[in-house]
Amino acid sequence: MTTDSHVPVRLLVIEDDQETADEIVSEFAEAGYEVKHAADGPQGLALAGGGTFDLIIMDRMLPGLDGLAILGALRQAQISTPVILMSALGDVDERVRGLKAGGDDYLTKPFVMAELGARIEALLRRPALSRETVLRVGSLEMDLIERTVRRGSREIELLPREFKLLDYLMRRPGQVLTRAMLLENVWNYRFIAETNLVDVHVGKLRKKIDAPGEAPMIQSVRGSGFMLVANG
Amino acid sequence: MPTSPVLSLTRLPMFRLALLYSVLFAFSTLVLFAFIYWQTAVVETQRVDGQLMHDAQFLGHLKPAELKDTIDNRLMPDFRRVAHAGLFAADGARIAGNLPDLPAELAFDGMVHRAEVPAAHLTIRAVGLPLPDGTRLVIGRNVESLDNLQTVVIHALELGLVPAVLLALAAGGLASQRTRKQLQKVHETAERIMKGDLRERLPTLGGGDDLDRLAASVNHMLDEIARLMDDMKSVGDNIAHDLRTPLTRVRARLERARDSASTQAEWHEMVDRAIAGLDQALRLITALLRIGEIEGGRRRAAFEPVALHQIAAEIAELYEPIAEEKDVAFSLSLAEVPLIAGDRDLLSELISNLVDNALKFTPAGGSVVLSLEVEHSGVLRLAVADTGPGIPPELHDAVFQRFFRSDASRSIEGYGLGLSLVDAIAKLHGFTLEIGNNDPGCVFILRCGE
Repeated sequence: MTTDSHVPVRLLVIEDDQETADEIVSEFAEAGYEVKHAADGPQGLALAGGGTFDLIIMDRMLPGLDGLAILGALRQAQISTPVILMSALGDVDERVRGLKAGGDDYLTKPFVMAELGARIEALLRRPALSRETVLRVGSLEMDLIERTVRRGSREIELLPREFKLLDYLMRRPGQVLTRAMLLENVWNYRFIAETNLVDVHVGKLRKKIDAPGEAPMIQSVRGSGFMLVANG
Repeated sequence: MPTSPVLSLTRLPMFRLALLYSVLFAFSTLVLFAFIYWQTAVVETQRVDGQLMHDAQFLGHLKPAELKDTIDNRLMPDFRRVAHAGLFAADGARIAGNLPDLPAELAFDGMVHRAEVPAAHLTIRAVGLPLPDGTRLVIGRNVESLDNLQTVVIHALELGLVPAVLLALAAGGLASQRTRKQLQKVHETAERIMKGDLRERLPTLGGGDDLDRLAASVNHMLDEIARLMDDMKSVGDNIAHDLRTPLTRVRARLERARDSASTQAEWHEMVDRAIAGLDQALRLITALLRIGEIEGGRRRAAFEPVALHQIAAEIAELYEPIAEEKDVAFSLSLAEVPLIAGDRDLLSELISNLVDNALKFTPAGGSVVLSLEVEHSGVLRLAVADTGPGIPPELHDAVFQRFFRSDASRSIEGYGLGLSLVDAIAKLHGFTLEIGNNDPGCVFILRCGE
């Protein structure tokens, strides 16, 4: 799960609810992260202020010092550690405020651990802003200027909406992308859709990318979402 | 809990008003009486003065002998002894007339003055005229009647004004007492209502006065609150019911997983299904919270200019594959419309809910049309038409209520909250939402800018 297996990724969890904190800590410690926990605002800020963490997961409401205040203090001190805010406040305004204050992602409670895991990975492996005009994953190739896609020698005709989705997937190969992440980032849609929107979109794209007999590149990840792998 | 204040009579607005009116009434009566008195006195005095001047001039031209007779003759028929006259020698001795002696301090200038006649205890209007032969003529008139007028006026004031003021105060006091009693009742009732008895109503006396009307308004408000509370209670019951269903299922699945799963894969499968059930319950709660949030109206602050046709096109793109899967023809007719003030996220959620709903209820082979156009006078009209089962007219209001699901729709997955969300978002934006007949199917029409 880490880019360099010798140096474990260091996570800081600032969460006052002991049960939630325990769950997050044990989940990610098991996955090989080094996880520290702070139970209140001041302690969290003191730890985060060292700038030694790779990522901070922080509750929006904290005793002593509010999550947004900690975030403001960190950014003021030029500490740019990625921060995921968690909150029971689902309000979109809250979300916007959290992101404006310098948060990198916002997760509404309750959430499944897989969702948090996928978002942590996404932040740790944030795609670099590249000037590349051709994206390549395995034998899959996307020309961003010609707007063409080919797998090996096979030309693939994509609808604009399919192109947009594949573009997002190809910039994050080998990374679990949840349905909520796809809705948010590909379609800029922030609500829970009652219909299985994402599955249908991914299914349509998959039919075109993975022709019969070819090794599947777009894979479903149980209970989490989807992943583009460099198969063949 | 505030205690019921004991209302004091003098603090009541009605009593203060009565007091103010009494004072104003007394003052205006005084002014009126003063005016009448002043007018009467002045006019009467002028009349008397004129007559005296006239008489004096007439008498002054008579010869001394005639003068004496004329005075006596004139005074003869005056039984009431109103007229007074006197002809006095240069040394002050009386020659003729009924005045015993010269009035003190009367100027002999041919003008009318007020004069005292101490010997007769009289105050008269009098004119003194020096005659060419050295004698002095005084004619006068008793004006005691004018003085009496003053007494009469004061008496009238006492008789009229004092009872009137007392009456006004008494009436004000009585009315205030009535108001005080009613207000006291209102206070007591309000306290009972505050303690939680929403069935209580404020008393009205049926007189239709302001207080009654106020009480009626408050009662109306209480009716409305009671109705809302009932609504909330039934929504609460619905929530409890709708949560119990998935939770019961989750419980059963977990129990079955514990008792009967024999392989790891089976166990996973059962737990996954239990998790799906919990997710359903969570989605329900989230949707309810969102409706509450939108109905709270706090989001209006985030309004900005948005292009409705763009949002509609994005939502259409999102739903196109769903329509293809279901074999429903999904077509668009989006005109480019002027920007409107709104919340982009909420509006896309609104349109998405309408489209989602239309696709859900339209059978294979049917069609869904999403259209946007500018109607008469700049009103934007967004419509989502389907060829589903349609909604009977009598249910058009009910579908926007939380948890409402028609019998026809029970078999299709959904939480019955989509349309209440749509309704809440439309209301927040001040849009009107209408359900029409698409024959077959129905059409949801959203109008903005009406």
